[in-house]
Amino acid sequence: MELALQQKLVARLVTDRAFREKFFADPARVAASEGLTVAAESLAQIQPEQVRLLTRVHRRRRLAQAGMQLPLTRKALGARFADLFRNYAVTPPPGKHPFEDALGFAAYLAANAGPPTLEHAWMGSLVRYEAAHLAATWQRKKFIGRVFPHAIGQLVELLATGEVPVGEYRRTTLAIWWRSSNRARLKHWRL
Amino acid sequence: MFHQSVVGLKRYPIDGALLTTVGRKTEITNLLANLPRLGAGLAYREPFRQELLQRQPEVDFVEVIGDHYLDAPPERMDELEQLREHFTLLPHFTNLSLGSAEGIDPVYLEKIAQLIRRLNPPWWSEHIGFTHAGGVNLGHPAPLPFTKEAVDLMTKNIITARRAIATPLILENVCSPLIWPGAEMDEPAFIGEVLTSGGCGMLLDVTNLLTHATNGGGAPADFLARLPLERVVQVHFSGGHESKGRLIESHAQPVSEAVWQLLDAAVARAPVRCICLERDDNLPPLPEVLWEVERARALGRQHRRWN
Repeated sequence: MELALQQKLVARLVTDRAFREKFFADPARVAASEGLTVAAESLAQIQPEQVRLLTRVHRRRRLAQAGMQLPLTRKALGARFADLFRNYAVTPPPGKHPFEDALGFAAYLAANAGPPTLEHAWMGSLVRYEAAHLAATWQRKKFIGRVFPHAIGQLVELLATGEVPVGEYRRTTLAIWWRSSNRARLKHWRL
Repeated sequence: MFHQSVVGLKRYPIDGALLTTVGRKTEITNLLANLPRLGAGLAYREPFRQELLQRQPEVDFVEVIGDHYLDAPPERMDELEQLREHFTLLPHFTNLSLGSAEGIDPVYLEKIAQLIRRLNPPWWSEHIGFTHAGGVNLGHPAPLPFTKEAVDLMTKNIITARRAIATPLILENVCSPLIWPGAEMDEPAFIGEVLTSGGCGMLLDVTNLLTHATNGGGAPADFLARLPLERVVQVHFSGGHESKGRLIESHAQPVSEAVWQLLDAAVARAPVRCICLERDDNLPPLPEVLWEVERARALGRQHRRWN
């Protein structure tokens, strides 16, 4: 029981920035308030620097996974992808599967669309497009329809060739994802 | 399905020595000794898919992140099937959380068991660590305290997993800058205890070892020497970088000479069945990755781990 509580405390220290700051302000008191008795004094000896480094290790792994799940967003944002992920990943991943963390990050980006987070308006559309694709793929929704105010097809093609889109790319795109049943292959159209 | 030549066994004295031991250890080491010698391969990354299929002869096996194929949509399973048609697949997991004090999720375990039945691999792998605690998901394995209590809980969870999955299980050493207070043993001893009591092989990540030992002020060679090398089945290696005087195992750079040297030392002493390159980020053209795979293959050949 004590070890389970210790693991929970370490897990929160690594994934929850607010809790980490609270803990290191008064480790013994916070450990005791988490229900730890025998190990409270021992856990109070955890080195803040070691936790900070472990937090980085875990964030890097989450970042790598998010990059695999959101390849277009990553290409579009370049080095900013990692910077913005650092701002997002101050709480634990929302689920066991990497797509859930990627969807959480995409929601964070969409909620903060516009400068300084996303410098071009088309980036917001691209993030929402890729998040919809991820949801259609992994959540196996039968139908998703989205309208974007930007030329998504053109942006996807440019990013696929390694080019960084320059310009406004204003043109309405209707995107549809459809699967006839839970076991059927996903179909996708951009109009 | 997998062939182990008698000649192969005779070539490696360490295997022969293990076969002469008695009891439960004999049973387990016999199992490990009879695993197939695969050669050199790489961890699968989606951007490499098409080219990888075309360059099949240059890759002896492919490791897949098994967690990514649990509850997966049909198109994702098509991808897995296509890989399976071309390569021996080794499923590697991160989220079973064998080190969780609250036990392992039986539903997740059953999903893993189903995937392993489908792939029929020679072995499967997880980590010596935990990814879940008290409803908090870490997303990547965290270290355990080096205590007898932690050995016991890992053993209990491993036994649960092995009851559900007959395929041999091998466990990977994690790289963590965090050392829990109250350690009753050091890390090599802890790894040895877990593998022995759990009856598992080892997935030795030499980059993790190098990073962990170097950043901790220790000697990687000493750390390596104290591991139960006779249990090493698979080796992971990857490139990292240095930041503010610390090594970072980022899986995002070419493999450093320090890693190659440690890999050489490990392959020289451990009866490895395969060597797997991990590259997650900053992906170069596939030929650059395959050059490192070929160098690892040559190293295994040099130490007579395969022909």
